Amino acid sequence: MKRTAKQPALGDIQRLMFDCLRRPLTKDECLQPRTARGRSTADLVATFIKPNDRLTSFERLELYAQQYWWRLLGSFSEDFRGLRAVLGEKKFDRLALAYIEAQPSRSWTLRNLGERLESFLLAHPAFTAPRTRLALDVVRVEWARTVAFDGPERRPIHPQKLAGADAASVKLKLQPHITLLELTHPVDRLFAKLKRTAQDQSASSNAVSAARASRRARVDVRPSRAPIHLAVHRVNCSVYYKRLEPEACILLSAIQSGATLADACGVAFLGSKKKTGDITASISKWFATWTELGWLC
Amino acid sequence: MAATRFTAGSDYGVGIGLRIPHYAHILEKKPVVGWFEIISENYMCEGGRALAVLDQILEQYRVVQHGVSMYFGNSSRPNRDHLRKLKRLVKRTGTPWLSDHLCWGSVDGTYSHDLLPMPYTWEAVEKTARNIREVQDFIGIPVAVENLSSYAEFHASEMTEWEFLAEVVERADCGILLDVNNIYVSSINHTFDPRDYLAGIPHERVAQIHLAGHSRYAKYLLDTHDHPVCDPVWEIYKRAIEACGRTATLLEWDDKIPSFDEVHAEALKAEKYLPAAKSKKRAA
Repeated sequence: MKRTAKQPALGDIQRLMFDCLRRPLTKDECLQPRTARGRSTADLVATFIKPNDRLTSFERLELYAQQYWWRLLGSFSEDFRGLRAVLGEKKFDRLALAYIEAQPSRSWTLRNLGERLESFLLAHPAFTAPRTRLALDVVRVEWARTVAFDGPERRPIHPQKLAGADAASVKLKLQPHITLLELTHPVDRLFAKLKRTAQDQSASSNAVSAARASRRARVDVRPSRAPIHLAVHRVNCSVYYKRLEPEACILLSAIQSGATLADACGVAFLGSKKKTGDITASISKWFATWTELGWLC
Repeated sequence: MAATRFTAGSDYGVGIGLRIPHYAHILEKKPVVGWFEIISENYMCEGGRALAVLDQILEQYRVVQHGVSMYFGNSSRPNRDHLRKLKRLVKRTGTPWLSDHLCWGSVDGTYSHDLLPMPYTWEAVEKTARNIREVQDFIGIPVAVENLSSYAEFHASEMTEWEFLAEVVERADCGILLDVNNIYVSSINHTFDPRDYLAGIPHERVAQIHLAGHSRYAKYLLDTHDHPVCDPVWEIYKRAIEACGRTATLLEWDDKIPSFDEVHAEALKAEKYLPAAKSKKRAA
């Protein structure tokens, strides 16, 4: 084995190769012919990758670049099917490329690839215009689905323990897999519609082209007149949506923020014109449901 | 024979990779399977269906963990958050050893999610061995490192792939997960003789063997895990078993996954080459 006097540092080789393969592919899904600084990519790649008798250095690296982009775009597309259906194929693909280029994966798991999508869309509304508000709602729900799918689950509080608790001092917690959302569009219904569309398509002939299928899958939904409060949660390993009354959502948010039970109930009905009896009945009903669902811990 | 310090004394025969399309069949029919290999990252979560299924599998079967994102060959040190989650899963599964790849995959905290090939340099030997030792010390069970299928080679390389592998495992004092399909794929892509590869590695360190299928393109082979094992790969497997003795063997099938019975039958073909348990002793 030869020990050569001076080799490029391992970190430098890895950084150089990674920078090359992360450059977005051309429309033909090839490596860009020029680097970001205008240098010939082929010349640059030839400085660190060997050619063989069948492939140039450029072609060998291209295999890795294609795998990188196909894998990340595929994962992103899987995680945001609703957004894809709302935006349509072309617009979604442009967004996916821009997002991954700007916000590459910072986690060992692709599960987290979309965690910064909401903030990216807020900063770059042009990618979703004119349906930015709907797109944001959809992304919030789709990320909440990811959290609900495999988020932690604590031991739920026993109803008897809850019944005997001192509301002025007891602080409950919400299951970590639950996300509470306030939406401007009925995204839960949009997903139900999307699911039906997908089922209809899967039952049809597979002779339909992919492009045609994607046009069929595009869905729309009108804004709601009033905000929609939605809990995205998990029961028996399945993810569900549950609509909440506004006060119930405030109450749960307060619990999530660490308020005592009494304070959470108080803030939920602050300024409410409801009768005390009605408020008590609502709270009793909600807590019965939430404990049954195992939401409180 | 499989029971060495690199397998924590366990003697495993033929197993298959646990894959989602087979969950229902396995849980319902409870087929007799030597052991299952799981992809660690699929279960390094804190709740949900994956862990629920895993717990049911663990009630019936032996499980060995295989990872895809530790990136032993990174210039930087292993990710501590990843290690903590991995250790938690190891406690849950009771895996006697765990494996991951001889590759790199992230730079400055940005991840490729790919198994990228190593430049075979002395600096890479040292850093990779350092990272494996760190993982092994932290997790507390033997680690086996798997050779890759690769599609590129570096001008900077100072040794062959098998020399690199041998140097790394000796310095890290770890086992080898020998993927015989990867040897074949790389031998075609980089034009070397698989027999040289087999002859150049420390056989006593081979803790496990992987079998898989690949796809053939005009100018290269791609490690796709979507076909049965081809004859040249069985030939390499046969020679590997002759050299290493009875070794835990695992079939990977990750795409275009056929029925459980088809995958299992393909894996069981390996038994033809495996000596019976405890038929031959191997120093470790």
